[in-house]
Amino acid sequence: MSILRRREFLHKTLCAAAGSAAFTSMFAKMELAQAATTGGIRRLEGDDYRALVCIYLYGGNDCFNMVVPRDAGHATYLATRGSLAVPQNQLLAINPTSGPSNGGQYGLHPVMTGARDMFEAGRMAIVANAGPLVRPTNKTLYQQAGTLLPAQLFSHSDQSVLWQTPRADSSARTGWGGRLADIFASTNPNQVLSMNVSLDGENVFQAGVSVSPYFMSSDGVEQIWPINTNGANCNGPEGWNRRRCLTFQALQTQTYGHAFERAYVNKTQATIATSAQVAAAIANYPSNDAVFQPFWTRNGLTWSATNPPELPRLAQQLLMIARVIRARGASQLNMQRQLFFAAIGGFDTHDNQLADHPGLLRDLSQSVQAFYDVLNSPTFALGSSVTTFTASEFGRTLTNNGDGTDHGWGGHHLVWGNAVNGRRIFGRMPNLQANNNPDDTGWGGQIIPTISADQYAATLATWYGLSDIDRADIFPNLQFMTGPMMAISGPNLGFMT
Amino acid sequence: MRNGFVVGLMLICGLSISPGADAQDAIFATGHDEAAEGPYTKAQASRFLTQATFGPTLTEIDRLYRMGYNAWLNEQFAATTSQQLPFLDQLIAQAVAAGQPIEVWQDKRQEIWWRNVLTGNDQLRQRMAFALSQILVISDQNGSLEGNPTTMAHFYDGLASGAFGNYRALLENITLHPSMGHYLSMFKNRKTDAAQNIRPDENYAREIMQLFSIGLVQLNPNGTPVDGNAGQAGIQTVPSYDQTVIAGFAKVFTGWSYSTCSPPVAPESSPSFNWWHWEYCPSGPDTQDWRSHPGWRTALKPWGEGTAFGDIYHESAGSKQLLNYAGVTLPNGVLPAGGTARNNLTAALNNVFNHPNVGPFLSRLLIQRFTTSNPSPAYVGRVAAVFANNGSGVRGDLRAVVRAILMDTEARSPAPTNGGKLREPLLRVTQLWRALDARSIDGRIREGWAEQYGAQAIQRSPTVFNFFLPNYQLPGEVATLGLFSPEFQITTDTYITRLSNEIGGKVYWAWWGNPDLGTWDPVQVNLNRDLALATQPAELVERYNLLFLNGRMSNTMRNLLITHINDITNNNSGSGWQRFRVQDALWLTLTSPEYVVEK
Repeated sequence: MSILRRREFLHKTLCAAAGSAAFTSMFAKMELAQAATTGGIRRLEGDDYRALVCIYLYGGNDCFNMVVPRDAGHATYLATRGSLAVPQNQLLAINPTSGPSNGGQYGLHPVMTGARDMFEAGRMAIVANAGPLVRPTNKTLYQQAGTLLPAQLFSHSDQSVLWQTPRADSSARTGWGGRLADIFASTNPNQVLSMNVSLDGENVFQAGVSVSPYFMSSDGVEQIWPINTNGANCNGPEGWNRRRCLTFQALQTQTYGHAFERAYVNKTQATIATSAQVAAAIANYPSNDAVFQPFWTRNGLTWSATNPPELPRLAQQLLMIARVIRARGASQLNMQRQLFFAAIGGFDTHDNQLADHPGLLRDLSQSVQAFYDVLNSPTFALGSSVTTFTASEFGRTLTNNGDGTDHGWGGHHLVWGNAVNGRRIFGRMPNLQANNNPDDTGWGGQIIPTISADQYAATLATWYGLSDIDRADIFPNLQFMTGPMMAISGPNLGFMT
Repeated sequence: MRNGFVVGLMLICGLSISPGADAQDAIFATGHDEAAEGPYTKAQASRFLTQATFGPTLTEIDRLYRMGYNAWLNEQFAATTSQQLPFLDQLIAQAVAAGQPIEVWQDKRQEIWWRNVLTGNDQLRQRMAFALSQILVISDQNGSLEGNPTTMAHFYDGLASGAFGNYRALLENITLHPSMGHYLSMFKNRKTDAAQNIRPDENYAREIMQLFSIGLVQLNPNGTPVDGNAGQAGIQTVPSYDQTVIAGFAKVFTGWSYSTCSPPVAPESSPSFNWWHWEYCPSGPDTQDWRSHPGWRTALKPWGEGTAFGDIYHESAGSKQLLNYAGVTLPNGVLPAGGTARNNLTAALNNVFNHPNVGPFLSRLLIQRFTTSNPSPAYVGRVAAVFANNGSGVRGDLRAVVRAILMDTEARSPAPTNGGKLREPLLRVTQLWRALDARSIDGRIREGWAEQYGAQAIQRSPTVFNFFLPNYQLPGEVATLGLFSPEFQITTDTYITRLSNEIGGKVYWAWWGNPDLGTWDPVQVNLNRDLALATQPAELVERYNLLFLNGRMSNTMRNLLITHINDITNNNSGSGWQRFRVQDALWLTLTSPEYVVEK
């Protein structure tokens, strides 16, 4: 059955079976049966695990201090950035085998040794100057009335949503990760745990039409103890909660007249079922297992199985993601496709940028390096199956507001994994001059993107297994991202093998 | 509704319909009083108190039932403000006097918030301050504020004391507050310096418009978005400002620093210009702890104001495009070149405050905090009309606005389909504690980290966008129905679990007299009153129905609870069986879908 036909089938079946309690399990069984008999869905063959990990940098990462010219271009950067500039001799040189398309030599911020090493090893790529677009745009078009532009440019909440949807033409609140899950969730043998797992609570990226993400924290999974019997249907061995559990569940399963009551019940029931399952699975892989040592060592901390020092925030989240991934097997969580969301905040560096920004970049660089040390260990051997990428609502202004930078538009992004066409810079680096900059909007160095968030997301989704047909559904604006104004024309930026 | 009633009344009475302004006010006042009668039942009283306070108590239900809404509201409007800062200052003074380190951090600010909302007599004022704190957001999740609980307490006290004042004054108060100045970087924001590539910071300029006053799109008087193109299907929203306006406001908001800076002693061009007094201005003397510094609890001041050199870092030069709207005072919304920092600020705040969006925008946000996530446009419109004119020609009277929100027919009639809201986590805890007269043995409240179980703690939101967005729509049925569900944004698997567990801890562990508490002295619920009803399950359930469900518990739920309670006996539960009955009745009620959704 082709994906398109499968989706038609899904749609019709959903409409026919809506309201049927038996539907979910019936459908899951059909899906499995179909995969077993026809092998028609490529992504279900063998032990073909794939995961995407989104690292969201809340506040708008100042990527112009993350990837910096280290050739003669540094003078322009220095003149614009002034007191915020990273000195030329401190940059960590990177030597791409190709790109950027307009040449130049670049370096990474001096705290990012892990990212430098992964780049040089061919396991990280840089995507230059990406951001939300409705149509290809340049300065002339930007300043012309009537040009289609993303709504509320430079606003945190709005641009954050547009990065995650990415539907710069729409106020839709589903994310591309959620829409991917709407398609792929049914391919997971496990139909209880959501395909989408967030380590940082609510996000638009993972919200689909039918799929809601599952939230856990870097501390793991918690259960509702007054009704927990350590077993399904209030019937586990710890029977002292049984009666309370049964009454609680009886109150939950009434017919409720208010949409919020129904939504609360749905969320509570999903929570109970999932937490029991995930808790049991990750308990098999405690965080003090020596395989997770790199999270400490890459962050300059001394690992200890008994009394480990506290990890940076992103490291904590990626460690928990690694534990969940490790429990992917058929006898445990039984997942073939997963999509994780991790996030750190603090990137809104209007003030004190020199003091605050490096620590965030260090956590990013070192914790992701550790994550891949772990994924490439023999225990996992999943370096090619897990791709990690950054998102952030905008790059920041080139110009300096005294001790920080303000809200911009386009920015550079990082993609990690063995499946990445690494050691390359994709796209075109923007001009960094403060005045009369042909690449900015005319407002203090807000850089107009030359790669759209749609292209970036679609490239990742294609690697994940999205068909060309579904791609047009999920990224309706992708078709417009062509022509000379785009650094790379067309739906696939080429940074994934 | 009221208009119809008034017109009908006038026809019946044979009045001619052209009353002067005074007569009209009198008639409206009569209409208002008419609508404000009640409550007629204790259940109605309980529902009102759920909306207007941090939780009904049996005593307060009785009192409101006896005195009526109007008298109760007037009493609340007159009540003395419970403040936070004196408590923190007292702790600091005690530590200083004892020669001890000053252990006054954000948990102490949380403590005094809890104390005020649990025991303060100014319940409505505190509830309004709570609402305002989620609109005029500052947060201790911010490098400049995290170590500084006193300035945040001072800010909150400003919200409480301004809760029934005028919104224009409140807007100025928060704009010039050092906490806000640091949080949204208006503090030490300086004029354009082309040579150094410095231009004014746009942070505050953007957020005061987007979040504190007018929002992103132009609104009709009832809060619905203006349709920019009626010929096209759907609503084509019209932005309420653009980048030129942000740049204009950013220039206005320049030149301000602590009130405690040493002034400039020479013009900027002079070699003896003391720029370092701007750059390194202290908030107070080195000999004093920063948490007591006057600069952190006094309005910001333009550096140089009152000197011969003027407001050195204010961008006085050049005209500034501010908001342009029908009836705007500044010609085309343009603030002319020149002017002092203070005068320009006044003009700019007037320009924002008088924008027609403010009434509907703010009214909807406040309604969502008090009564319903999804007010009808008519409800928003009625409250916005009161914002525009309190009946005496005053715009922005928050006292009139909060009265209009609570006394509106949509708030006082039974909730329409899908009306009401998901209860905020903090309110779920305060409602339990107030209803059960909870307290610790030593009177302290060690509840400094509520965000860990509720994803919410006072002035601790992750960003300026509060804990949840007013327009958040939970994916699925809620979104499909077009409903907004702000509180669902933090109702994740993690927090459903944690909050259910926390309420479990507060019911099953932290009860007055529990010997297992040892030296741990949390806030403890008092179960003794309700233990008397342990052998009368129907009465026990009815009490919680009144206190927590405003008398609207379904028969199904009532029967399930009564059966459950009857099943707890000495035989199967041991000597604590009566207490277990009360505790289970409480926890099952407080985690039930009927309670969690306030209607």
